[in-house]
Amino acid sequence: MKKPKVAFFDFSCCEGCQLQVANFGEGLLDILNLIEVVEFREVMSEKWEGDFDVAIVEGSITTPHGVERIKKIRDRSKVLIAYGSCATIGGINGMKNKFDLDEIKEYVYKDGAKYFETIPTRPVHQVVKVDYFVHGCPVYQPEFVKVLKCALQGIPYTVPDHSVCVECKLNENECMYDKGLTCLGPVTRAGCNSWCINNGNICYGCRGMVSNPAKNGQMDILEKHNIPLDWVVNKIDMYNKPRELEETETNGKKR
Amino acid sequence: MTQYVILNKTDLDEFISRLAQIKKTVAPVKRGVKNYAFEEVTSGKNVAVKYIPTILPPKKYFLPQTETLQQYDKSKKTWNAVMEFQEMIIFGVHTCDLAGIQCLNMAFSDKPKDINYLARKNRILIIGLECNDYCDEYASCKVMDNHMPNGGYDLFFTELDDFFMVHINTLEGEDLIEKTGLFKEAKEEHKKALKAMREEKRKRFKDEVNVTHNQLKPLFDKSFEAPVWQSLEARCVSCGNCTNVCPTCYCFDIEDEIDLNLTTGVRKRRWDSCQNEPFAQVAGGENFREARGERQRHRYLRKFKYPVDKYSRYFCTGCGRCSRTCMAKINLKETINELAQGAK
Ligand code: SF4
Ligand code: SF4
Ligand code: SF4
Ligand code: SF4
Ligand code: SF4
Repeated sequence: MKKPKVAFFDFSCCEGCQLQVANFGEGLLDILNLIEVVEFREVMSEKWEGDFDVAIVEGSITTPHGVERIKKIRDRSKVLIAYGSCATIGGINGMKNKFDLDEIKEYVYKDGAKYFETIPTRPVHQVVKVDYFVHGCPVYQPEFVKVLKCALQGIPYTVPDHSVCVECKLNENECMYDKGLTCLGPVTRAGCNSWCINNGNICYGCRGMVSNPAKNGQMDILEKHNIPLDWVVNKIDMYNKPRELEETETNGKKR
Repeated sequence: MTQYVILNKTDLDEFISRLAQIKKTVAPVKRGVKNYAFEEVTSGKNVAVKYIPTILPPKKYFLPQTETLQQYDKSKKTWNAVMEFQEMIIFGVHTCDLAGIQCLNMAFSDKPKDINYLARKNRILIIGLECNDYCDEYASCKVMDNHMPNGGYDLFFTELDDFFMVHINTLEGEDLIEKTGLFKEAKEEHKKALKAMREEKRKRFKDEVNVTHNQLKPLFDKSFEAPVWQSLEARCVSCGNCTNVCPTCYCFDIEDEIDLNLTTGVRKRRWDSCQNEPFAQVAGGENFREARGERQRHRYLRKFKYPVDKYSRYFCTGCGRCSRTCMAKINLKETINELAQGAK
């Protein structure tokens, strides 16, 4: 069997998710037995002119140039994987959407602002069709491998649509709320094996929210723990701001 | 077979050490700020003799969170059954959790028998531990009739003055007594002390809700349209904690995991929960229990109605874990009281 041609691309992001692949260690060799990497800016300088069997796209779309570029990549790719929170939910870049775009541009670039065109931050699927999602900031390596295996077999991968609490309980962690801390686990979709909580940190909601988060119930919880709403909204917005574009542009239809 | 023996409290540490030399031994150990968990121990040093129910019940040793059931090889077209089990001793199981294990045994011995479960169960020795007083305010073991020992163990420990009274229930239990060699025969005075403690305990443990044990089933029989489910609908966030920590929840999902060679792989099962959004979703996207209130009702009926119809036994042990862990502070005792209030 000819090895599928796989390329990595990055848009607005920190490239940390690609680093997760570069850091794979020995497992990487097994993966390289399966695929031929034809483009990967972070680890090689070659470029490929033909089509891709699998394009792995990191980063969110934040400029008109980005829109054009991702459309071209989509046209050349049989399968497109959105990779990392920036690509799957807009991620940290989405915080920009909280501000007036011109104002925030000037704040960032000062006098140089006129040289930069900017549009509201969008995850990749809000611009082109995405076949697979690997959520996370950074991605959780075991999940990436799972998704890659599905993509190579041509079968769907279902992102878990239950809360991080489920994995957290299966790992028998003491709940952060019992320690007096606030955790976004109850509204965040699982799939990372409650990575952060296992390591003593709270969940920041980096994988995006479950498809049907319970708004009223969440409010109750905050009230009971005396946690101000703004504070949590800010925390959720850290990764999830571009969700609003989804709700308005798709009339709130669940994806 | 002597029914009762005693162990000096000062010998408990040595007893656990000797158990651990016989086979893998697990016991309740402090986890975090205010929780406990069953963990492997090699001495009595970290074992908590007084503890509130652990985050996960001992269920995790009978039905692990994930478990391999089969191995396959696509190139050879082979499927092989896999059994994963380990000899072990669980020390310090409270009576509510003994009841939980009995419920699981019933469900998994029912046809079709779950061979993987039964193979594991037959290799686990259980040492119970009595609660002389309530663990905390979430418990409802009295109304569920699980506050007193009622079988389901090899040995059963009751802490009294400066010794443990130990009931020997099986030959395997007796074998442990002999092999560890730290026990003395119980005398009349010891038996008297046990009796006195139990009398006190009977006074202390009272039905924790406003209905009796026998009224629970009829109450839930008529509960389908009760308004309380609407109130849970508004409060529950579907975190799945209540079901994952429940000693009698046994739902699982099956998942195939292929190796990187894309040829060989394994079939696994992993705990699933009726509180999770996609649990009752079928092909085409229809979800038979889309509303959280319906999912909560299902959870309660799976404790207080369906298993009673099927096995003549409540599948709530009264351990209180669901209430203790609920993100939305949904409390089982309050739900029952609200139902009872509404039924008046
Ligand atoms: S620590 Fe966070 S993820 Fe874990 S159970 Fe608590 S809220 Fe859920
Ligand atoms: S625990 Fe939360 S923040 Fe951490 S990786 Fe998982 S989803 Fe992201
Ligand atoms: S623990 Fe509470 S909030 Fe979570 S699913 Fe159960 S009832 Fe709902
Ligand atoms: S329903 Fe709640 S109290 Fe009853 S056995 Fe399950 S976790 Fe324990
Ligand atoms: S619920 Fe009852 S039996 Fe269980 S730990 Fe609490 S007091 Fe003991």
